[in-house]
Amino acid sequence: MALDAVFRDQWGRVLATLVGILGDIELAEEAAAEAFAIAAERWPRDGEPANPTGWLITTARNRAIDQLRRRQVLADKTKLLARDIETGPQPPEALMDDAATIPDERLELIFTCCHPALALEAQVALTLRTLGGLSTDEIALAFLVPFETMSKRLTRAKHKIRDAGIPFAVPPDHQLPDRLAAVLAVVYLIFNQGWGGGRVDLAAEAIHLGRALADLMPDEPEVLALLALMLLHDARKAARLRDGRIVPLDDQDRALWDERQIDEGRALLRRAMARRSTGPYLVQAAIADLHLHQPRDWRQIAVLYQTLARQTRSSIVEMNRAVAVAEIDGPEAGLAILDRLDLDHYRYFHSTRAELLRRAGRDGEAHDAYRRALDLAQTEPEQRFLQERLAETTPSVPRGPDRTTT
Amino acid sequence: MQYALLAYASAEESDRATRPIPGALAAQLDRPHVTGWARLHADESATTLHNEEGQMLLTDGPFIDSKEYLAGLFLIEADNLDGALAIAGEMLQETRPGTAIEVRPIIDGRFRGA
Repeated sequence: MALDAVFRDQWGRVLATLVGILGDIELAEEAAAEAFAIAAERWPRDGEPANPTGWLITTARNRAIDQLRRRQVLADKTKLLARDIETGPQPPEALMDDAATIPDERLELIFTCCHPALALEAQVALTLRTLGGLSTDEIALAFLVPFETMSKRLTRAKHKIRDAGIPFAVPPDHQLPDRLAAVLAVVYLIFNQGWGGGRVDLAAEAIHLGRALADLMPDEPEVLALLALMLLHDARKAARLRDGRIVPLDDQDRALWDERQIDEGRALLRRAMARRSTGPYLVQAAIADLHLHQPRDWRQIAVLYQTLARQTRSSIVEMNRAVAVAEIDGPEAGLAILDRLDLDHYRYFHSTRAELLRRAGRDGEAHDAYRRALDLAQTEPEQRFLQERLAETTPSVPRGPDRTTT
Repeated sequence: MQYALLAYASAEESDRATRPIPGALAAQLDRPHVTGWARLHADESATTLHNEEGQMLLTDGPFIDSKEYLAGLFLIEADNLDGALAIAGEMLQETRPGTAIEVRPIIDGRFRGA
């Protein structure tokens, strides 16, 4: 494996263990960064150590001890450190044997980062930084905020965790469902952020996080279902754009779909279903799976959207149900559902509505709705697609062949 | 009579935790009429609990709504923020609707009682 890949892979694991030892994310992060820098210098020269994780943790731990000594404070932070400060740092080799049994504390870390006492945007940024190993620069770029803003957001969150005593722990059983839902929401939010733009590959980051969670919580159906959902969506990535334009699902070149990823997603979906769960991610993953079949089973899709709408009370889910209903009972039936929704701020509401209006032969209204969608569109491929549709529904231009969209 | 003195600091002074209490102030805190005191972390460390029709809502940050006034003060001890939030939540259940409790960690303090 290339060094970069090793680092990416190890960062969350190493950092989590250090936070467990040091009790402070900021200190752990500085120490980990130093250890990775030393590794980047030494490994190419001396070869990769037998246990890279252990080497990195031990080295980082030693750096943290140095750091604490330099500051001459916080010496009693943990017993372990207090002892080490007296005896001095260990050479990385000395702790090699321990390395195999170093507990994986990434779950503790992710529950800390996604604690509800932190603002959602801070949870997202912190999760990408600590578990994903993204730099502050990369995160700022991904969310289109200035570096300073993102840096402040991260620092503030880390200080709050430290000062307010946000626990570094997996929540007890009675809190776990709510807290896990918060973690999954953060991962899925990162994934969805990654769909629109082409900046940092946040969808890949989210899948990476989803895989780690599925490894750490292999019996939680919603964890498996979320990973399945992301894989099934992401499998169509290559087919989703053509000539810089969004391609509706029915027009996509299926040869471009990632079959291996679809298989993996489906296998995860089956595992989640075997646990008799009907959580919202399972329902969404099942819908994503149905969308990959040709022809699509719109009745079943509509039923699942209804289940999901009951669970989530989300207007966006209702909007998606309207699309399925339009396929079964015609565009006017779908439009009747859309008319009950209050989603004027949501760009896909207008493009969805425009599509159904177009199919219902109400071109004038469709044109206005495409115009509104275009005003709200955030990415160029979306804009190009909508401009095309806008032109097609301009009264003086003859209509193109009928197409469906998702 | 008993009084509560509420101290406000400039927003820039968020690093108080790393600095000691100024010597002259520390001496005043030891005087007999001071029955207790607590030095709080900056409001960036705050979490606010709202009781919205029986449901407890958490927000990150201090309580900011000028319609309400500061009505009371509890000093509690808990293992971590989760413990403190649980205690605050139980208290909030019994308060009037529209009440909020801001949970703020204490840097250091002393309480002798009146």
